[in-house]
Amino acid sequence: MGTAAKGLEIGLQGVQRRFGERVVLNQLSTRFAAGEFIVVVGRSGCGKSTLLRLLAGLDAAQAGQVEADGRPLGDLIGDVRIMYQDARLLPWKSVVDNVALGLSGKRESVRALALEALSQVGLADRADEWPKNLSGGQQQRVALARALVHRPRLLLLDEPLGALDALTRIEMHRLIERIWREHRFTAVLVTHDVSEAVALADRIVLLEDGQVVLDQVVNIERPRARGDANFARLEGLVLDRLLNTVQAINQRNQLRGRVVAIRPGDVLAEVEMEVTDVSGHSSVVTSTVTVRNLREHSLEVGAEVIAAFKATDVALVSV
Amino acid sequence: MSQGLDRGRLTSGVLRRLRSRGILSWIVPVLVLVVWQVAVQLGWLSTRILPSPWEVLLAGYDKAVKSGEVVHLWIWDVWIGELWIHLGASFGRAAVGFVIGGSVGFFFGLINGAYKLAEDLFDTTLQMVRNVPHLALIPLVILWFGIDEGGKVFLVALGVFFPIYLNTYHGIRAVSPELIEMGRSYGLNDWGLFRQVILPGALPNILVGVRYALGFTWLTLIVAETIAAPSGIGYMAMNAREFLQTDVVVLTILLYALLGKAADVAARLLERRWLRWNNNFLAA
Repeated sequence: MGTAAKGLEIGLQGVQRRFGERVVLNQLSTRFAAGEFIVVVGRSGCGKSTLLRLLAGLDAAQAGQVEADGRPLGDLIGDVRIMYQDARLLPWKSVVDNVALGLSGKRESVRALALEALSQVGLADRADEWPKNLSGGQQQRVALARALVHRPRLLLLDEPLGALDALTRIEMHRLIERIWREHRFTAVLVTHDVSEAVALADRIVLLEDGQVVLDQVVNIERPRARGDANFARLEGLVLDRLLNTVQAINQRNQLRGRVVAIRPGDVLAEVEMEVTDVSGHSSVVTSTVTVRNLREHSLEVGAEVIAAFKATDVALVSV
Repeated sequence: MSQGLDRGRLTSGVLRRLRSRGILSWIVPVLVLVVWQVAVQLGWLSTRILPSPWEVLLAGYDKAVKSGEVVHLWIWDVWIGELWIHLGASFGRAAVGFVIGGSVGFFFGLINGAYKLAEDLFDTTLQMVRNVPHLALIPLVILWFGIDEGGKVFLVALGVFFPIYLNTYHGIRAVSPELIEMGRSYGLNDWGLFRQVILPGALPNILVGVRYALGFTWLTLIVAETIAAPSGIGYMAMNAREFLQTDVVVLTILLYALLGKAADVAARLLERRWLRWNNNFLAA
């Protein structure tokens, strides 16, 4: 402790991960430099969470290598900490005891370390409360303090801000950025929010079908302003690449199409549509809808629909 | 504090003040006692059927203070009232049976909840045995143990085993796998994970099991002691019945009620102490 350890340098070589028939990570190779802030974006199911779980040692690759500082990652797994989508605080421990989880040593010194981490996220005054008395944003800040107290050299963030409101998210962006600049760990953040990616990343890595399809360096000076022209241009570029399989017919990203198949499930159903973009290319897109929704607005094969594309989802409107 | 439809709508000021002092809940029991006493004194109730509360109190005083015997305690010979001897015998059986049945139930709940292999091996068997009412084993237990302590302790342990086993098992199963994963990735070893994540997570359920088990403890003892015992409250009751001492019989029934209530209060105190983090238990 005390000596500021540098961030881990991560190397992935031909990493392969399958779940049954489905290939989630396909010969994935990339490097994350020490102290770099990497943001991984991609549609749902592109393999970004799987990548993070591999880096956290919660899952293992079937082929390929994951290295940290040139050694197998498993040797250095104690230097890796992860923040989850939900804070995952233990409700039966006070805030400060949650932060101290997994620390060993004398009671007072452990508490002092935990309090120091709590003050870094601005919650030292709530140390002796139960987690349930804190708001969602505060709980995530406690989770951040819990990760920081171990002085991680690689911090993994699995959409930790997804459930927070817009204002709290922006506050958390600033907090995470400030702490990352102080501690100089390597950070890997998974998100589907492109503006969050542009706000925080040194490099944006876009995953599609388990492979890196875009590796974009972000050269905007920090702290970054959302109104900035460069910010908007880069955000547009990444969004376009995310949606590149189909080009929209109008500003609202809508496309005309026809239903070609419906695969019902217990809760969710998949609807496959053939859509044609402005340049006359036709392709097939899949939209997931709840079965209940499908019952209320019945769709049949052959029905004319308009597909509206959001950042990562496809919504269907009957015409 | 009960959850009623009229919760918080107690309008009368007098009633509200009485409730806030904890007096309200004692009005009905006291009223019953008064009516009972009056009914006996006016001759509406024969003392052979039901002695008056006052007589029961006198019987209690008699058994606690006046009649007794000298007992050899470790190195001293001490004179102890009859009531305390029987109370001690019953309490001892309850405690030993509870500890044995509780620990075995806790152990099986733990391993069956935590390990699939153990669950496959034991759970079906235990579920089958659970369906046998444990008091049905009394004739067999008398054959095995005679009327010695062993038989009663065995029955109590058996009665305690299942509520503790089932609730520990379900408690462990109910601990969120996300929290366990988090604990592992934050460097907890198996023991740390058990002590800091799994056990506290299962504790609300386990304590529910403890409360049920305490109920079963007294139920089992009442039956076992009235059938075959050389001492204990149940024995006192059966003895009194032979001499038509209705006041002593009623006294023993009241003693069981008090012991049951005391056990329940103890369990609630444990809940308050250990489950402070859980709002649902604060009001209970």
